[in-house]
Amino acid sequence: MKNQENKNKNSITCENLPSFLSSFVDTFVDFTVTDGLFLPNTLPQNAPETPPPMAAHYPSPDRLIAIGDLHGDLEKSRQAFRLAGLIDGSDRWTGGSTTVVQVGDVLDRGGEEIKILYLLEKLKREAEKNGGKVFTLHGNHEIMNVEFDFRFVTEKGLKEFENWGFWYGAGNKMKSLCVGLDKPRDLFDGMPLFFKGVDAKYWNGIRSRMAALRPSGPIAERFLSKNVTILVVGESVFVHGGLLKEHVEYGLERINEEVRDWINGLSGSRAPWYCKGRDAVVWLRKFSDDYKKCDCSLLEHALATIPGAKRMIMGHTIQDLGINDVCDGRAIRIDVGMSKGCGDGLPEVLEIFGNKELRVLTSNPLYQNKNKDYLDAYRKEGLVFLKPEQGPRQVEVKT
Amino acid sequence: MGQVQSEAVDEAQTQSEPQHSSSSPATSMESLLAEAAAYGDDENELTCEKAHVGNSSQRPFLCFLKSTSEEKGSDCVHPFVALQNCIKANPNAFSKDILDEDEDEVKKEEEPPPSPTYKIYPPLWSRGPQSPKSKL
Repeated sequence: MKNQENKNKNSITCENLPSFLSSFVDTFVDFTVTDGLFLPNTLPQNAPETPPPMAAHYPSPDRLIAIGDLHGDLEKSRQAFRLAGLIDGSDRWTGGSTTVVQVGDVLDRGGEEIKILYLLEKLKREAEKNGGKVFTLHGNHEIMNVEFDFRFVTEKGLKEFENWGFWYGAGNKMKSLCVGLDKPRDLFDGMPLFFKGVDAKYWNGIRSRMAALRPSGPIAERFLSKNVTILVVGESVFVHGGLLKEHVEYGLERINEEVRDWINGLSGSRAPWYCKGRDAVVWLRKFSDDYKKCDCSLLEHALATIPGAKRMIMGHTIQDLGINDVCDGRAIRIDVGMSKGCGDGLPEVLEIFGNKELRVLTSNPLYQNKNKDYLDAYRKEGLVFLKPEQGPRQVEVKT
Repeated sequence: MGQVQSEAVDEAQTQSEPQHSSSSPATSMESLLAEAAAYGDDENELTCEKAHVGNSSQRPFLCFLKSTSEEKGSDCVHPFVALQNCIKANPNAFSKDILDEDEDEVKKEEEPPPSPTYKIYPPLWSRGPQSPKSKL
């Protein structure tokens, strides 16, 4: 029965032919801008009318992997996923029912930002099919780009967007030849034609990037609008910068939904207040700076306002020493600066089994024999470092 | 590549509606696009049968329609690459100017465009002389 229904829905008729053309064009553009990735698009008639709610709370899965800032480095991103056995050599999901949380900052500092966005979206779908889940969060660099703050964009990154803009425009042109389709919105509608003080050879790249990432821009809407800003999984609170009591009181779901709506172009050009300034959820460094400076009592206050929350897991500030924890395991900092655009650090990811067991998976050979020293020096409790080759090791920790 | 284009031209001559190509100088490109878009191009001239006939091996859209792989279209890499090469060889067919020509009339009625209220921070390395011969 169901097969029959699917068959009908997917078979070609005069009525749905234009939407097949649209889907073909999208598939072709995807294929082209990613050097060969297929990311099937939902046919318009199957798309949900209202966006799904942006829940902030999820129960603890059996296994969770947290991944730090990626900053346009596709190869390092792959390495981070491989380190935890989440993908194979062809980038296919092999993580089964694992939940992944990537804490933001996919954009800037590297040249393959779009390709990472596509990869993450592909893995979200594949994980879902296998009982797993991939969450992506907003970092300050996502917010900055939607606001046209391109100060950390690389030349290669601008090129990637320029190339995307060309092919997306070509796709629009193809669609506009089809009578049954609505005329596509002009990608560059409302975008400036020139930029004072900027070398003219970059204008098109900047315009493409603006068009792609502005609120309701195609890349913003398709990828960034699916990010959450704050996520609570079991006892762990994930946020790019850090969370203060006032953010929690404002409402975590509310924050997620407001940011989503802003990215979808429903609330003007400026990001909401809690995304801006040094105390913003994506900017705060009070819990991720030098470990001696972490404001543990402030952290305690914030965590106390979230029932069941035992730790905050953050990116944003590069940890030269690798993933580490402070404040008795209440603050875990996972930005290892892996992108070659900032730090070129060795990938490390955090692994959590249930709520009980936390450990670090590292590709750094240094810690094969030096685990002990490292742990004694920088960890109070909780984190265990593990090289993947050593195989799983069960270590109970206090919770 | 030549094969793809010539094939497309044949089809365009019989199927494409002149109203869509009136302002475009890029006839070969237009033809290829017409081939890609043919099935939704003009419902009066086309019949559903047309969607089911023809050799799909070099036609990206047909190949896509027929694709049964889970990632729809992933068995169409060759026709996709052929289409890529064709578009790359005729990039001007997709330049902003041509897109604008089609829309000029509509646009004038919708004036004025919203004044930009945003501030842009370009990358520092992108600073440099503006070309006086810009499109403006």
